[in-house]
Amino acid sequence: MLAMNSTLLVGPSDWDPARMPRDEFLARATALWRASPSAAGAVVYGDRTHHAELAYLTGFTPKLESALALIPRVGAPRLLVGGGPNMLQAAKPLTFIEALVPLRNVGETVAQWAREQSGGGRPVLIGGAFMPYPLRQRIDEVMAEGARSIADKTGELWTLMRRKSPRELAAIRDACATLSAALTAMDEAQRSGAGATAVVLAGEHAAHRQGAQDVRTLFSLDGGRTLRPFDTSVERAVDPLQTYVAVRRFGYWAEGFAVVTASPGQCVRGANVLLRYALEKIRPGRRCGDVGRSVVEAARPFEPHPLVTSVQGNAIGLALEEQPLITPASEDTFEPGGIYSVRVGLRDESDSAVVSAMVAVNEFGSDVLWSSAMGKV
Amino acid sequence: MTFDERLAAIRAGMTEHKLDALVAVHDGNHFIETPNPVFVLCRFKSLGPAAVILRGDGETNLIVTPAWDAQRAAECCPGAHVVGADDVVEALAGALGGGAQGAVGVAGLPFTRWEVASRVAAALPQASAADDIVFDAAAAKTDDEIANAREATRIAELGYRRMLEIARPGMSEDELAVELRWYTKTLGADDNFLLLCAGPRNPAVAPSNGRVMQAGDILVAEITPSYHGQLAQICRTVTLGPASDELKEKYDLLIRAMDAGILAAVPGVPMAAVCRAMNAVLEAKGYGEYCHPPHIRRRGHGLGFGSIRPGDVSLDNETVLEAGMLFMIHPNQHLPETGYLLCGEPVVLTKDGAEPLTQQRSALAEIG
Repeated sequence: MLAMNSTLLVGPSDWDPARMPRDEFLARATALWRASPSAAGAVVYGDRTHHAELAYLTGFTPKLESALALIPRVGAPRLLVGGGPNMLQAAKPLTFIEALVPLRNVGETVAQWAREQSGGGRPVLIGGAFMPYPLRQRIDEVMAEGARSIADKTGELWTLMRRKSPRELAAIRDACATLSAALTAMDEAQRSGAGATAVVLAGEHAAHRQGAQDVRTLFSLDGGRTLRPFDTSVERAVDPLQTYVAVRRFGYWAEGFAVVTASPGQCVRGANVLLRYALEKIRPGRRCGDVGRSVVEAARPFEPHPLVTSVQGNAIGLALEEQPLITPASEDTFEPGGIYSVRVGLRDESDSAVVSAMVAVNEFGSDVLWSSAMGKV
Repeated sequence: MTFDERLAAIRAGMTEHKLDALVAVHDGNHFIETPNPVFVLCRFKSLGPAAVILRGDGETNLIVTPAWDAQRAAECCPGAHVVGADDVVEALAGALGGGAQGAVGVAGLPFTRWEVASRVAAALPQASAADDIVFDAAAAKTDDEIANAREATRIAELGYRRMLEIARPGMSEDELAVELRWYTKTLGADDNFLLLCAGPRNPAVAPSNGRVMQAGDILVAEITPSYHGQLAQICRTVTLGPASDELKEKYDLLIRAMDAGILAAVPGVPMAAVCRAMNAVLEAKGYGEYCHPPHIRRRGHGLGFGSIRPGDVSLDNETVLEAGMLFMIHPNQHLPETGYLLCGEPVVLTKDGAEPLTQQRSALAEIG
């Protein structure tokens, strides 16, 4: 779910080898080479807003300026960090990569690095769509070989990122626990009669206190019909308060929709029933489209909430929205190892609600990691 | 200047450049260093990619993603025709109506991510760059933006006061940064560019990391809240423990450099003169070589999120200063004896000179 992007990321992002050892990153790169057999290496881009691919391969979260990893098929990777040589000391704890250099003369640096790669293949590009326009033009220019431009293999990497490892699942479980703490704090603040902003900020503070790397929230001032980011303080109490909270821990996201209220209306009750129905449908091998369609059909006689009309969820991990999406038209299947954010929403003339769950699919079925229908983890 | 007067200036620029329509794009990646023409034209801070079409007669179309954010956009921009879309480029092409739009200028492409910008460029192959038309007209802030900058500065100063209360040895940089960011949000800040780090000798100011602060550290912080999308910044230096006499002496030098910069900032002079005035104070004490890269590259900058004009306070910026401009004056400096120190204020230029927006100017502070 898209929330407001921050101009600078400030939460704890240091690489923790006990949580995610170097070998796991190396295994990911090895899997990428298997998926791209002719690749001599990978040029991997990330910035504050889009860096799931970079984090997947390097552990690095670009808090300030963008970064570019040059990962050879054979040999040691290099990380080009924005902001000049004085920024390297601060960036060092954020990654297992030892060779950090300033992100300068990008075109020449990447071209030279590509020439140095052995084996006759050509490097591939990861995250190129997220590069600023002039940077991508420059990369395309220096990496073109005749009429052939550099191959973008972001999609292949996304496929590899779908199946979460036990360590990734552990991180997401921690994020879910923090999400739960945030919503509990919101609930307490709501019961105390706090204003809308104070309720949301109580949740954010609780998440930060648990070590959240990032917290993003949306909330509604019109009974859940529309959501908005924080842009100005709202002192008045709003009940029911439709909220969305995304919490990141150890690089991995958990997100949840919940209606914070002492007296749930019929849309909240109905949405919780619908969510349980959706969760029962999720099984390994089942098509995402089947779940999406059945949720839309089961919503009747309510209208589906506009937030969930076309998309009923998505995979989640290092990015808030990963592939596949859960939509009525999706041909993708739920796969063991996949973690999904599933959301349903209802509305009628006087009421509306969106609720959601975090689900881990395994070989035998699925585990609900967090659900607003359950209240707690 | 009012918002309507700024729009009139932009439309005058369109007339001068014979443009029938001006398209502004932004990808939702809000950053202190990059301007946002959508925000300049509509005062709307989007969640995702967004675009504006401004026509010569003033008709304005605002296209926002995700589609469900359209109501917030409509509340923010009551004068615009707002469209919520899942694909900003598709909606933009539809709103422009094929090839019948006449001469079009585009602003924002250099700062927009490739997946959006490349499609806009392909959809408008004849369009000319119109960044200067938008950002020249936004070089001076509107009255509302200046009022927002004053409030952002007030929040920054309260954030700094909070930092003095809670920063202590044993706390990590990340913990402190997260707490301060949250605290300034409780005061109304919608974002905060909060660069903060500590050490016995900082090579630069950098984003916080997990380092645990120690007694004797020098803590440097750029506290930069945004209020209604307008950033303002204060640059501060604090010691965790008593400051040495040498540090006090060097910090006093920076304060004098800042004072010189503030005095030099008057309408009609080039921005480079402000930088030279600060450099002169440091050069007189033998720090001439530290007045250039790699030690420093600028002594201040404009403040977005809309326009970042008048640009950097640097020797190569010949922008002539005018009343209403808002920018940072910060002689932040790496000195061989102390490492990197921060000292800076946001100023708005009046006809009489630079007015610092802070209630309390930068001074070296000691905790404990």
